[in-house]
Amino acid sequence: MKAVIWMILGGLANVGLVLLVAPFAQGVLRKVTARIQSRQGPPLLQPYFDLLKLLGKEDIESGESPGMQRFAAYLSLAAILAVACLVPMGFSAPMNGAGDVVLLIYLLTLCGICTLLAGLAAGSTYSLVGISREMMSMIVLEPLFAIALVVGALHAQSFRLNEVLSGSVYAVAGTPYSGLIMLVVMVLSFQAFVQRVPFDISEAETELMEGPLVEYSGPKLALFKYAHMAKLIIYSALFVTLFVPWGSGLVFPVGWLLFWAKVFVLVMLVTVVAATHARYRIDQAIRFFAGLVGVSFVALILATYGH
Amino acid sequence: MIAREMFEQFKQRFGPLIVRADLPSDNRLFVFVDPSSVRYVTQHIFRELDARYVATIGADDRPFSGKFLVAHNFAFDKEHLLCGILAYLPPDKPQIDSITDMVPAASWGEREMRDLVGIEPVGHRYLKRLVLPDGWPEGSHPLRKDTLWNEVPAQYDPEREFKFDEAPEGCMVIPFGPFHPTLDEPAHFRLFVEGEMVRGCEYRGFMVHRGIEKLAESVMNYNDIPMLAERICGICGCVHNVAYVQSVEEAAALKPPPRAEYIRTIMLELERLHSHLLWVGLACHIVGFDTLFMQSFRIREPIMWMAEKISGNRKTYALCVIGGVRWNITPELKLELRSVLDKLESEWRPVVAAVSHDKNIQKRTCGVGVADAGQVKSMGLIGPVARAAGVDIDCRRDHPYAAYDRVEFDVITEQGADVWSRLLVRAKEVFESIRIIRQCLDKMEDGPLQLEIKDELPIGRMGLSSVEAPRGESHHFVITGENNRPRRWRVRAPTYQNLQGIPAMIKDQQIADMTISLGSIDPCFSCTDRLETVDVRSGSVKVWSQEELLKLTRKKVEG
Repeated sequence: MKAVIWMILGGLANVGLVLLVAPFAQGVLRKVTARIQSRQGPPLLQPYFDLLKLLGKEDIESGESPGMQRFAAYLSLAAILAVACLVPMGFSAPMNGAGDVVLLIYLLTLCGICTLLAGLAAGSTYSLVGISREMMSMIVLEPLFAIALVVGALHAQSFRLNEVLSGSVYAVAGTPYSGLIMLVVMVLSFQAFVQRVPFDISEAETELMEGPLVEYSGPKLALFKYAHMAKLIIYSALFVTLFVPWGSGLVFPVGWLLFWAKVFVLVMLVTVVAATHARYRIDQAIRFFAGLVGVSFVALILATYGH
Repeated sequence: MIAREMFEQFKQRFGPLIVRADLPSDNRLFVFVDPSSVRYVTQHIFRELDARYVATIGADDRPFSGKFLVAHNFAFDKEHLLCGILAYLPPDKPQIDSITDMVPAASWGEREMRDLVGIEPVGHRYLKRLVLPDGWPEGSHPLRKDTLWNEVPAQYDPEREFKFDEAPEGCMVIPFGPFHPTLDEPAHFRLFVEGEMVRGCEYRGFMVHRGIEKLAESVMNYNDIPMLAERICGICGCVHNVAYVQSVEEAAALKPPPRAEYIRTIMLELERLHSHLLWVGLACHIVGFDTLFMQSFRIREPIMWMAEKISGNRKTYALCVIGGVRWNITPELKLELRSVLDKLESEWRPVVAAVSHDKNIQKRTCGVGVADAGQVKSMGLIGPVARAAGVDIDCRRDHPYAAYDRVEFDVITEQGADVWSRLLVRAKEVFESIRIIRQCLDKMEDGPLQLEIKDELPIGRMGLSSVEAPRGESHHFVITGENNRPRRWRVRAPTYQNLQGIPAMIKDQQIADMTISLGSIDPCFSCTDRLETVDVRSGSVKVWSQEELLKLTRKKVEG
């Protein structure tokens, strides 16, 4: 019983931490982007105020099916926070027994599904084009993370979160070829997972006017924005636990601080790439991802043979 | 001599078809022909003599000659000649054979002439309304002299909607506009889309008509109009200002003092600098590359400050009056302008070097929005769009005005005919502009800024002027008139021609490429939409009626 309570408390602590840190990471991202662009940039805490402002606005029902629209907004934040419960954030995974890697993969896909629901609910032409792009990229993107996790699971000989999310991709005797291949694949596609330029294709403001989010405003938009910010933190955390585990075992607070330092380095990397690239076209992006999927299948085969 | 030689050639070829000819100068030729032979003459000029189509002008000349007047203007760029083919039409039922099937570029010109002056282009295959608001009654033509400038016909129906063409089978319709983040002004493209592929489009523009030409012809005077002309466009206003003044000066055979000509050149080039830097920024924003967007705006800003120091305004310089300019460039300003140019050049060079090797941008722009030399010829495309297709035209060199005949510069051309080539052309033209301004500053001689004009300007003379705007040739045509104002003033902005090339450019391309293709002509809808008196938004839910809005704004103005 006591263990269950600790699990739940740990999960909630993670959720709280993500909610607290995500807008700050966004603030850092905006500030650094601004400096790259020779601008002053907004204050670091601006995203908090933005969210508060949006949350305080009138809740307008719009689009073709307002019910679904509301549901999609709630679900998007809920899904990503559920992921937060499962991912270790500097400690071991809090809800280790509550789910395994397969659940994690499903929850990550659910986040994408929310965007589809949002677009369908809006029913505008732009959002429909947006979700068709989102769907196309999901088909080639989702396998990448799934394969990375499965490679880890194969090496760890377990689907348990704690076992997999601790640099398991390198856990083989000799050179971990499959792990290194997946590292490269994930670095190349990371921008797409956190939906930033050059792969923010389904939202593309200058083409589709934010695509699926075109009908959102006020509190519901705030939830989507929050989920978007949280995604950056959670995917970074996942990346760090899976591929950059070194130093996590150190005593508190050194290990913990090191973990967050790595997460913020990753956020920086995302920022710099986003600031120095133009948006790709959907067909170019799909071709790029399809290539990566091919490569990651090679990694998967290597992993099954223990390399 | 060129005009005379060309006229001799015309005389041999057309003989009795020519009614009259004016040769006001070496590089201007006005040939009046019989209306029934306009088609034949233009065909010969366009096809065999390889002239470039410039503009079609319709005018109500009934109060003066009792007839309607139609002009098709052509340019012989290599021969440095601008030529008008004119015909008088009977007052009762004005109609003329359409030339659009031979010269596709004339399509809009003829439709506009039909809307506004009521001259029927016989044989035009697509006579849909172009300029007039949807609720405007048939048979009422605002540019006729018997229509008052502020007249709204009694049968005007603000509720009537525009009828769009049917979408082709299997295509979804995506409304691009009237308001869209990439369009900074209202314009409506109805895209027919199959999956992500654009199969065609229909354009409905002219939504912000301001009745500028009518206003000029009925209430303003010669020296008011430059200020009005400048407000045609928020980016290339000075171009219209100079082009109008030059066409009046040409009609009245006035020559501004040399210092004024240098100052005009400098201001025009300053405008090109800021416009090109703005365009590079916006184009990068369209493809999601915001860093270069911000950087090019930062690099551009000192130009705006410099313009403000010279003219008192960042934009709308209010530069010209008939026979001169209003602002001087003092030695201190000269010095400062030089240092601004040095800084600009040193900052822009690394940007161009970085961009021209950027694979990422090339991926989004190479082979996109292609308009080849054939399309340039048939649709009359101009400016960077033409030069990016290897068509070597530039009014600054081909039809020199102001002080351009006294400076040296290269006309930049590229061969790709795509968005990438247009980007390169504009990026490199920045250096040529800097070069031109430096030469002007060196060569500028002291002297008066304005010509003293004692007599009234002569009546019934024609003048035309082509000025190379940042987007292409801006063409103005003026017939001088009574009451110290022109009888007819026609503006053909560069976007007017380039926009007609868009449907071909975006056909069978992805939606993602549509925005950058459209962006690549540097569209300026306010330039194109300069004409009408009333504006109605079509097709959308109206919360405010037009009268209510008008009342509201008036109340606001009156306080």
